[in-house]
Amino acid sequence: MRTERNKSRGIFLGRIFDTGNTYIILLAVSFLFFFPCLWLILASFSKSGSIYSFEGFFPEEYSLASFQRLFTDTAMYNYPKWFINTLFVAAGSCILGTFLVILTAYTMSRFEFKARKPMMKTTMVLSMFPSFMGMIVIYILMTQFNLINHLWGLILIYSAGAPMSYLTQKGFFDTIPRAIDEAARIDGATNFQVFTKINLPLSRPIIVYTLLTSFTWPWSDFILPKLLLKEKDLYTVAVGLMSLDETEFARFAAGSVFIAVPIVLLYFFLVKNMVKGMAAGAVKG
Amino acid sequence: MKQKLERIMSCLKDSSGNVKLSLVIMGGGQFRYGAKGKGILFFLLQLSIIFYFITRGFRDIEGFFTLGTKKGDVWLGVAGDNSVIMLLMGIFAWVVLAAYLYFYVMNISDVYRMQKRLEQGRRNPTFKEEVKQLWDKKFYVTVLALPVAGVFVFNVLPIIFMILIAFTNYGGTVVPPELVDWVGFYNFKRLLSLSQFAPTFVKILTWNLLWAVTSTALNYIAGLFLALLFERDCVKGKAFWRTFPVLAYATPAFITLLAFKFMFSYGGPINQLILSGGGTAIGFLDLDAKWTARLIGLLVNCWISTPSIMLLATGILSNRDSSLYEAAKIDGAGKWKQLLKITMPFVLFSTLPVLIVQFVGNFNNFGVFYFLRGGLYLDGYFLASDTDLLINWLYNLSINNNYYCLGAAISLIIFIIISIISLAVYIKSPSYREEDTFR
Repeated sequence: MRTERNKSRGIFLGRIFDTGNTYIILLAVSFLFFFPCLWLILASFSKSGSIYSFEGFFPEEYSLASFQRLFTDTAMYNYPKWFINTLFVAAGSCILGTFLVILTAYTMSRFEFKARKPMMKTTMVLSMFPSFMGMIVIYILMTQFNLINHLWGLILIYSAGAPMSYLTQKGFFDTIPRAIDEAARIDGATNFQVFTKINLPLSRPIIVYTLLTSFTWPWSDFILPKLLLKEKDLYTVAVGLMSLDETEFARFAAGSVFIAVPIVLLYFFLVKNMVKGMAAGAVKG
Repeated sequence: MKQKLERIMSCLKDSSGNVKLSLVIMGGGQFRYGAKGKGILFFLLQLSIIFYFITRGFRDIEGFFTLGTKKGDVWLGVAGDNSVIMLLMGIFAWVVLAAYLYFYVMNISDVYRMQKRLEQGRRNPTFKEEVKQLWDKKFYVTVLALPVAGVFVFNVLPIIFMILIAFTNYGGTVVPPELVDWVGFYNFKRLLSLSQFAPTFVKILTWNLLWAVTSTALNYIAGLFLALLFERDCVKGKAFWRTFPVLAYATPAFITLLAFKFMFSYGGPINQLILSGGGTAIGFLDLDAKWTARLIGLLVNCWISTPSIMLLATGILSNRDSSLYEAAKIDGAGKWKQLLKITMPFVLFSTLPVLIVQFVGNFNNFGVFYFLRGGLYLDGYFLASDTDLLINWLYNLSINNNYYCLGAAISLIIFIIISIISLAVYIKSPSYREEDTFR
């Protein structure tokens, strides 16, 4: 009787201990992920710009001066211009790229044609080449033809490459039952109508997912703009922020926070969609 | 192959005069059968391609082989050959030739089909009807034309170009107006055996493989651990706890990387804390900081990529069959045993393709060491540092130092490694074999 009670107390204590441990780990993990972000956010509100004037991790005095300077002191670092460039490139390639990816994925999922399997295999092989390879060639050729320093060039390259990653979207279209299509076909709808009238309205989640991913990629890419944009006024934010050194740390922090916040908010609104889309694409390959 | 040839021969035998006309003049047969619009289009296509080949196509193909024979001279005002443009134009000419052959075959099979239809007493579709088909039965042709063209111009052509570059001596001092030449496998030989490049190559390759394996394993285990941690029954407010990794996931990688560089820099906060504690500043990412820099790279990469794996694993874990766990509990399996025998196989099975993608991504992870230690050249390395991966070396060689041919050769080597590894895993993965079961 006594041993029985002791045992149950032991289990009870063990569970509390277990729960306690779990929460300690949770706190540690959260701290690990949150701390660098907090550090940047606080740094963006520091009064002095240089990292050397900080006391350990945190600034000595706080003010909004960095944000003000970010948008007014544009002689050396024209942040507002960079921001507009980035927005232009990201929005342009988002719209064009999504259009192309959705069309490609839909056709690959719904149509049987001779070139289908070879095309799927080709894209798989192509994706194994380092993406850098193409970029270097584009860089060589663009310098040969004097085509660097054009923002639309970036849009073209981003959106033209987008259909290469159609697999997630194809996985989604595979899950929409084809019976509806066939019914509509019997009623005399053309394939074009089946796509626009039936499947497009059903695929809103995947369109949102595609829009988001094809917006964030150019928004945070640094390799291509670094290669193709040599003029300071044409920089995107990523390239611009890379050119800041330790004495401009607060400006860097402010610029980063300002460009990260919209993206982070978008992700939080859409994280459920993302998980579903990723899981669906993963299971079906 | 032989059967195919026999079939073509028999088709040719019973073809009408109109089909034979199409063999010589594209669209001729179609025109005589009454499909005037289509016939004229085919004919115009043939004319323009022949015109192209006479005016410059043949010269371009010749230039593809010679890569220029006349060297330009600024002083004498001689405009020489530009080898790079000649190579590009040469590739273009080959592409046009291939397209011509494709359309030629299409033209013949089209006119043959017309003949067969007429022999069977059926009517041929009018030009208008055929165009209409592009929105219906052949909708895929209309839709795929644009994406395929885009991918071809911006992905396939550059890759072909770069593969060819790997077999030339383009780069270093040999850039236009100097003439470029074909050199066969010389670049690969240089990379693998010459004392100038080979030691660097071997060292970087070893580190690259080590990096890809450890970082993939680390990220995967950490991501899975987090997902399982958040799934525990005793955790209240799961959404709240999940916020922090998602925050890390959503922050653009270049910001994170730059921030970590500042954090570990000489005047950065960590060194300031060490200094105020009475120690001396440590150059975490300095010239001689081989292993600390590598370790920091691993951890930073883990910080960046773990959340995405966590999200993925969370999505997959929610599809688990809970009755399996009940059964295991009744059979007396402990927590560990359940994890090893039920959870792990299930998650591994579902995430195998992702694991390959992760591995390839880490193998070619350009960002981490570009930001943390970019631009360092160390002794014992040819234009690289001890943390650089092949992809970083490729960047240093081709973008910063113009060694294009070596860069191209390295790209090909990377491709070969990646394709061997992923094909081996991919072909065995169930999600590849069962592609059609979901359709």
